[in-house]
Amino acid sequence: MTVDVQALRVDHEVAFERGRPRFWRVLRRNPAFWIGAVGVIVIIALAIFAPLVAPYDPDHQFRREGLNSHGDPVGPNAMFALGTDHLGRDYLSRLLFGARTSLTVGIGANLLATMIGVTVGAVAAFAGTPRIVLRRRGGKATRIAIPVESILMRITDAVLSFPALLLAIALVAVLGPSLPLVIIVIASVLWTGIARIVYGRVVVIRETEFILAARAVGVHEARILARHVMPHLLSIIVVYATLGIASTVLFEATLSFLGVGVPPPAASWGGMIFEHIGYYKSDPRVVILPGIAIMATILSFNLLGDALADAFDPHSWR
Amino acid sequence: MGLHWRGGSGAAVVVALIVSACSTTTSSQPPASAAPATPGASTSEAPSSPAASTIPQGGTLSIAWASDIQYFDPAKGYDVVSWPAERMMFETLVTYDSGTKLVPLLADGMPTISADGKTYTFKLHTGVKFVKPDGTVAGDMTSADVVDSINRVLDPKLKPSPSPVAGGFFGNIVGAADVLSGKATTASGIKAIDPSTVEFDLVNADATFLNVMATPFAAIVPKGTAHDASVVATAPTGTGPYTLKSYTKGQQATFVANKSYWQAGQPYLDELDFKVGVDDNAAIQQIEAGTLDLMGDTIPSGSFTQITTDPQYADQVVHHTLVDTDYLFMDASQPNKGPLSNVKVRQAIEYAIDKDNIIKLVHGAGVKADCIFPPDMPGYDPTCTPYSFDPAKAKQMLADAGFPNGFKSTLYTDTTDPDPAIAQALQQDLANVGITVNVVTEEFSTFLDRIETPHKAPLGWVGWFQDYPDPSDFIDPILSCATAVQGGANASWYCNKDVDALAAAAKGETDSTKRIAEYQDIQKKIMADAPWVPVRHQEWFTLVGKRVGGFSIHPVWQYDLRNLWVKPGS
Repeated sequence: MTVDVQALRVDHEVAFERGRPRFWRVLRRNPAFWIGAVGVIVIIALAIFAPLVAPYDPDHQFRREGLNSHGDPVGPNAMFALGTDHLGRDYLSRLLFGARTSLTVGIGANLLATMIGVTVGAVAAFAGTPRIVLRRRGGKATRIAIPVESILMRITDAVLSFPALLLAIALVAVLGPSLPLVIIVIASVLWTGIARIVYGRVVVIRETEFILAARAVGVHEARILARHVMPHLLSIIVVYATLGIASTVLFEATLSFLGVGVPPPAASWGGMIFEHIGYYKSDPRVVILPGIAIMATILSFNLLGDALADAFDPHSWR
Repeated sequence: MGLHWRGGSGAAVVVALIVSACSTTTSSQPPASAAPATPGASTSEAPSSPAASTIPQGGTLSIAWASDIQYFDPAKGYDVVSWPAERMMFETLVTYDSGTKLVPLLADGMPTISADGKTYTFKLHTGVKFVKPDGTVAGDMTSADVVDSINRVLDPKLKPSPSPVAGGFFGNIVGAADVLSGKATTASGIKAIDPSTVEFDLVNADATFLNVMATPFAAIVPKGTAHDASVVATAPTGTGPYTLKSYTKGQQATFVANKSYWQAGQPYLDELDFKVGVDDNAAIQQIEAGTLDLMGDTIPSGSFTQITTDPQYADQVVHHTLVDTDYLFMDASQPNKGPLSNVKVRQAIEYAIDKDNIIKLVHGAGVKADCIFPPDMPGYDPTCTPYSFDPAKAKQMLADAGFPNGFKSTLYTDTTDPDPAIAQALQQDLANVGITVNVVTEEFSTFLDRIETPHKAPLGWVGWFQDYPDPSDFIDPILSCATAVQGGANASWYCNKDVDALAAAAKGETDSTKRIAEYQDIQKKIMADAPWVPVRHQEWFTLVGKRVGGFSIHPVWQYDLRNLWVKPGS
């Protein structure tokens, strides 16, 4: 344990130093953090409380009031604050429930991707090429080298080299669209980025003296990985996961826009743009509103992620 | 266009009359829409078109479709993109004039029909040449080619699957049953009497035989053509005015003039490009910008009101009520005693659908459908209104049928606007009576595969256009036992032997008044079994580029692209 604490002190990327929250001091001086954090909290709150906030059932088609005499959506009025969509559904309610879809997918897929990526990256770097000793009864021992590192990272490269969108579309096309599937599909193509980053970090950490020291005193490999390596990855994981949510939200919107996202009638921002793309000239509202929602969400998460990255960076501590 | 599946790219079509006259066709039934029919005018070319001799030659036009061409093989293609493509390259013994009158094409005069109505003898036109895609002549057409072409359509081993209408359209030829069952390779009733004479013997007299012979399925291909649509696609060889110069899947099919075409003075264009995979909204923009001439799809929802009400486009917007019925199909033979196999459940659903709302969603582009036959189709019966919109009654009927809490199912449709929106409207209608459905939208060809595979779609939204102006075309290919098979177009898997027998009798009836009455009776019987909820007869709206000449709607072909020419000075 002593070794451990010493090591943390030595490593200058440690986020929190006991008694001196330099991290927090940097963070709170950054206006981007406040804008991002407030944005993220508001969006998450709206998503969670959508059923309370939304004026109507987002899937209910108001066939008389919601469509004009030409059968087109109506603009904002006393009944529908942001107007209706092409089926006469309340647009405000759909935007609010769309936040649920976007964030469920965004956070869910990104958590999953981060878990896979961190595990693969860290295990690959830390395991290297272990040798297994096989001993036949009475015979000689045979040593077999298992290139865990190469296998895992080549798999990562293979997935990385595959066009993510194509892979996602193919998977959804074969398995049929559903919310859980969209989450799994997005995670299954997005884990590679963080796997590579974590791998790069762990390769450096595994050569440091405190790891050597831990081994010297007989700490089990798995424990070294969990207790001594992982804390050093916290900063990059937090930053990457936050920024990743932004790209995942966009990815979900792209899938829905291409018609292979969350199935109808569930509201999804990308899907709302997709459904109304033909209206961009006659009624731009129906395209711009979900676009603004996507933009605001991505901007909030990006600002927050950037601010966290800055705060973790010792050069900004001064 | 022939009708067949609507969806995907809807058909192109257009109506002949620019803007105002909306109905057409020379069929006997008055259209349901208000404007008086103006036969003649509607099916002829625009008033400004020059006489045939002065039609400008040369130039290139382009037409865009959202869906790709499914088949270049006339034995297989059965959708609104494949038919126009096939008709560029292939021809039939008989065809339609500018209306619905049958006229000879590859035949030299109309066939001689025996007194019992069972033997048709065609004299073939001489000097008709098959031309390969590279423009070289592959030989003259003879009776052997005709015999081979029809036997080919009947082949149950045709790749990748049998023709969707082999039994439905051609099963009445003597010996066809043996070919269909694989017992013979040639039907004894298709005979080459001499090199320029062909005789067809029918099992039963059939008033629609010549209509069938005018469909692209009966197109004449050279003897020895591979019984494999993918081989045909590599080098389609026919007698038509254009040849396929190149085709890039998902992008473009380029048709160029056949210099060895057997009819002097045709074709008019040097080249006609089918641009496929073009989104409707992109197509509209390109037509507005003048970089595209025609669109195979209807004006999409988003710009519909804007374009149809803009005076600037008044003479470019063309519309027409199609001889089409769009319907919600229900799997009437649902396996494992699924709820839809219960006629009471299907009847309940008939009462559950708010058709007026769907017409409103499509901006009024259509006439409400209560039964199977569309207006303009002989047999259309405005008094046939077996079901009305009554959700309370639907709920009650479901409860009586043993589903007081409804059930869950899946509703499929294709991704072409406005079908996904309509599917969601149907979803809400069904939810109102307790039936929870998932809506799944698929690309048109995937969707077609699904609905032509047994029981893979319990519910679905699709449309059917006529193949030919005879009511049998709305029964035999889509509601008969013979087509409730893999690759068949009977999406409801509806099979009622009584209806089959009545339809066979009606088909052979020679008294047209009696015949129509019989079909109206069949229609009522089918509606009692409720395999579909008919919802609307679509009204087609499209935007036509300023350079396009010779554009008119054809009651059967909708778009008759062979007549197009480029307006001088454009």
